[in-house]
Amino acid sequence: MPEDAISAAGVRKTYRARGQPPVEALSGVSLRVGRGERVSLLGRNGAGKTTFLRIASTLLMPSSGRVEVFGRDVVRDPEGVRPLIAVVPQEGKPFFHLTPREQIYTYLRSRGFQRETAKSRTEEALGLMALEEVADRLNATLSGGQKQRAMVATVIATQAPLLFLDEPTIGLDPFARRGVWESLRRLTRMGSTILLTTHYLDEADVLSDRLYVIDRGQVVGQGTSEDLKRSTGGTLRVSFRGPFPDAKALRAEVQGTGRIMEDDQSLHIITSPERMEELLAIALRRKLAATVGPVTLEEAFLRLVGRSIEGEEHVGS
Amino acid sequence: MSGAEASFPPLDVTTGARSLRSRWQGARGFTETEVRVQTHETLALATSMIVQTVFIVFVWLLDRSILPFAMVGAVIFSVFQIGERVTNEAAYIRIDHRLTELYHASPLTPEAYFLGIAAGIMIAYLPPVVVLVVLAEIVHPMGLLAAGVFALSLVAIWLFAASLGYTFSTLFHDSRAIWPYSSLFYNAFGVLPPVFYPFVVWKAIIPAAVVPAGLLVPPSAAAALITWAEGLTPLSTGEVLTAAGSLTFFALATFAFAVHWARRMAREP
Repeated sequence: MPEDAISAAGVRKTYRARGQPPVEALSGVSLRVGRGERVSLLGRNGAGKTTFLRIASTLLMPSSGRVEVFGRDVVRDPEGVRPLIAVVPQEGKPFFHLTPREQIYTYLRSRGFQRETAKSRTEEALGLMALEEVADRLNATLSGGQKQRAMVATVIATQAPLLFLDEPTIGLDPFARRGVWESLRRLTRMGSTILLTTHYLDEADVLSDRLYVIDRGQVVGQGTSEDLKRSTGGTLRVSFRGPFPDAKALRAEVQGTGRIMEDDQSLHIITSPERMEELLAIALRRKLAATVGPVTLEEAFLRLVGRSIEGEEHVGS
Repeated sequence: MSGAEASFPPLDVTTGARSLRSRWQGARGFTETEVRVQTHETLALATSMIVQTVFIVFVWLLDRSILPFAMVGAVIFSVFQIGERVTNEAAYIRIDHRLTELYHASPLTPEAYFLGIAAGIMIAYLPPVVVLVVLAEIVHPMGLLAAGVFALSLVAIWLFAASLGYTFSTLFHDSRAIWPYSSLFYNAFGVLPPVFYPFVVWKAIIPAAVVPAGLLVPPSAAAALITWAEGLTPLSTGEVLTAAGSLTFFALATFAFAVHWARRMAREP
């Protein structure tokens, strides 16, 4: 039995459309996801996360490279892979003319589950996603968050060994997001493996055993959330909020106090507790708003990618 | 999951080439999905017979002698329309709901998915057609041969229209862009050729070189065959063979292609 749920080596994908220049969405992605792990692909919109997820879930052909799911090649043996996986597609919506109960039950039936098993798993999934109260309402009448929960419930009800979730909490309120996170944690405790894409840093932080940061079709960072935070070179972040009347002088003044990073309107210094007072003194002298906090994934992302996670990449999905 | 947490089933799932039977197994489950989806759309079910009813009323008012032809035509048209509904439904599921990926990344084979959509729509829309068949039988009672030809022709028409519809649906990225084609299809296949009116009328008004087209287009080939079997349309042996051959060929060829296409489109190149 292979140890890896997913093993990918040198995966490239180039989209070609007639009359348009080719777009390289993946430029040699290599990664591995161990059995029972929850792994996130973190990146800006268009970084290549969905492209990789679709290749690994047999929905898209790679241009080159190799992806194996539980030791089975997704290109040569897609029919061997498909019974082992379930996918929440990005922006997938449940059938409007079914109820959540019908949606989950019929999906399980189409995957070959016996009626009784399908019924009991449907009830379990409805409970896990807190959908009991709306279980018999048409999906068309549900809120956006409830529809998304119905999608996630449909997939987790399969208890497939490997679940792919493409932005599973998009559009959910904080309470519902935590509900999804908890159900995903339970699934991995039961032995399932989860690969999800997200551009929510908090989600990647609290949910992932490990994460891969993807930018412009390449893996630019990997490890646990703590590994990535440590890689910023400090434990504290001091942020000066701009605009700055004399940015050049400010940068010169903070030089040497830690790693300096900038985004649209702020200057962040990743530093140690020993240098904090010095930096706050600069803020006071220059009458700048400053905040101090522990280093988060945001700083790690900024260091790895050079831009904040908001916004779009230039490459395709 | 609730209560005592069960562990997942072992991973030794059967792989490799799947048997013919297993390739179609999930179709039953997905048919159940589609039947439930379709039966929620009661207005669509209720209005599915409007065009046919209007044609029958016109014939009733204008020339009752061709009523048996119109009744057969109404049944064929209805079955063609049921098959053709796959176009919009498949596109809607894929484009507007993005659910095709949910099903394709699962043990359900692409061909079972296609057949599930087609069969689900067919089951949901069948009851009014049964009523039409009963009315057709009252207007002109059928013998055993005619009933057999009727049944086989309807299966062929449904297979042809559903296969054409599914294949066609995959060519679009915007489901709204497909809407005009439905009207084009059912007029080109169901209204213009001799489906609602006798083949002899077609023969009389169409240039001789084009007449065989009436026996090649599947719905009118079915109409000619059924009314021939009922003793309403005189056809030569050659014409019977042409109509039967065309109907069989188009039904099987479009179905085989749709299965091939469904498998190919399950993974974006």
